[in-house]
Amino acid sequence: MTDFLQNCIDGVMIGSSYALLALGFTIIFGVMRRLNLSFGPTIMLGAFGGAWLYLHFNINPWLVLLACIVFTVAAGVYVERLCFNAIKRNVAITSMVSSFVIWMQLEEIAIHILPDRTSPFPPLFASLSFEAGPFYVRSEYLFMFAVAVAAVFAVERILHRTWFGLRLRAVAEDPRAAAYMGINAGRVSVYAFVLVSVLGAVAGYLILAADQQVTPFFGLWATFKGLIAMMLGGMGSLPGAIIGGLLLGVIETQSLWYFGNEYKDLAAYLVLFLMLIARPGGIMGQRLVERRRLAFRRV
Amino acid sequence: MLELKGVTKRFGGVQAVNGLDISVAENEIFGLIGPNGSGKSTTVNLICGIYPVTAGEIVFNGKNLAGLPPHKRLRAGIARTFQNIRLFPNLTVWQNLLVARNSMEDVHSQSFLARWLGETRHTRGEIESILEFSDLADKADDLASNLAFGEQRRLELARAAAAKPRLLLLDEPAAGMNREEVQDLIHRVRGLRDSGITILLVEHVMQLVMNVTDRICVINFGQKIAQGTPDEIQNHSAVQEAYFGTTAGDPD
Repeated sequence: MTDFLQNCIDGVMIGSSYALLALGFTIIFGVMRRLNLSFGPTIMLGAFGGAWLYLHFNINPWLVLLACIVFTVAAGVYVERLCFNAIKRNVAITSMVSSFVIWMQLEEIAIHILPDRTSPFPPLFASLSFEAGPFYVRSEYLFMFAVAVAAVFAVERILHRTWFGLRLRAVAEDPRAAAYMGINAGRVSVYAFVLVSVLGAVAGYLILAADQQVTPFFGLWATFKGLIAMMLGGMGSLPGAIIGGLLLGVIETQSLWYFGNEYKDLAAYLVLFLMLIARPGGIMGQRLVERRRLAFRRV
Repeated sequence: MLELKGVTKRFGGVQAVNGLDISVAENEIFGLIGPNGSGKSTTVNLICGIYPVTAGEIVFNGKNLAGLPPHKRLRAGIARTFQNIRLFPNLTVWQNLLVARNSMEDVHSQSFLARWLGETRHTRGEIESILEFSDLADKADDLASNLAFGEQRRLELARAAAAKPRLLLLDEPAAGMNREEVQDLIHRVRGLRDSGITILLVEHVMQLVMNVTDRICVINFGQKIAQGTPDEIQNHSAVQEAYFGTTAGDPD
């Protein structure tokens, strides 16, 4: 029982970063009704930029974090302009396919920045362990969890309490009506990409700092984790993204503990498989599917 | 204030609007009527800038609108309502109005914080008065999707008015309304005009068109077939043939 609870704690900690990745997909899906497949690779490229600066100039880890955010935002806006700009708004499949192709480009750029493929990645502070009765947590995971909680609240505030959030939701509800109400949908879309890029860069930094290394495969990894968490939680639902992320984290740590490392990902895919059969809309998406309402309305 | 000069729109081989000339004067209620498929909605969409005109030009306040995207046309002073209601269903009534009100604001005239939060005391007061005018004051925090049909229609009108337009395009605002509701709408449209808004009304419901407009333009097959006061139009032979059948009267 102690093991099980310990796994749950670890799972929630790791899952909190998956939740941030899923939030990134969900916000873009909610606003543009498009899947941005190169979300993970933009984070990876940002991390490579940070790692490059760290390697060549040995800068402070906080500056590395800042560099990750700046580079990821730049890559995110680049993807938005290239694949998701207003002209391509009416061709959903073009955006998705082109974002997949740009993924390859971003990976190629990353490999040219740091040809070694695996690069060291600096943590913000030295690892500590905290014990509470029979349980213990590592400081970097506790920090990851704390930052993720703060980020989720910040996103909630931004979406529901600011003028940008209101415009974002108006565009998500009805892009054309929003345009007639004077909203520049193209600009809102760029801002949305900036927002998710910041989220993604923070999540990416925390995950990589815990691993202390970065490889070009991180893009693929981040896209997969985010997509699986989003599918588990429910497409286009913000609470769903968070629940899906935490659930994915718990499933992974539990199966890692009980079945071993080689079954960790398989267990996650099995749960996704069962979810798609039993509740195709995901945990929070189901009710919307039944109501024949589109899930993105939830944003 | 609004002038359409030889406006033509072709979709492939279909001539939706053909050399249409319309001139709407300041603070007038101008009716645009015609049978189904006569090009009324296309005309509204052209004025709003969904698609570009094939030929001709649309001039608003002496400025050619060619190439101006829809969101800039609102800022230029043109707002619209939709034939099939297009509110933001999961935003509250208040938020629906705030979106329209705020987009109109010259963003540079506000402080950063006001722009970020999007709600100043000034806009709040204005939205309250619009809610009052639209009989929606007690619904401010309801989701738009939870409103009754008539309330949604009122909100649609209120939202367009919240943008403080100089020209308001009403695309069949009386669709699906009963006689009492139309009567109510007549008062609201007149109220909007009295507040200084010029109105272009596209409508089927004769009770509304004949009671509220100053001048009417009748189009068929994308071309103007008659123009005049409501009385003149009602007795116009070409109009009766194209629109009312052969006998004059109220088809409603």
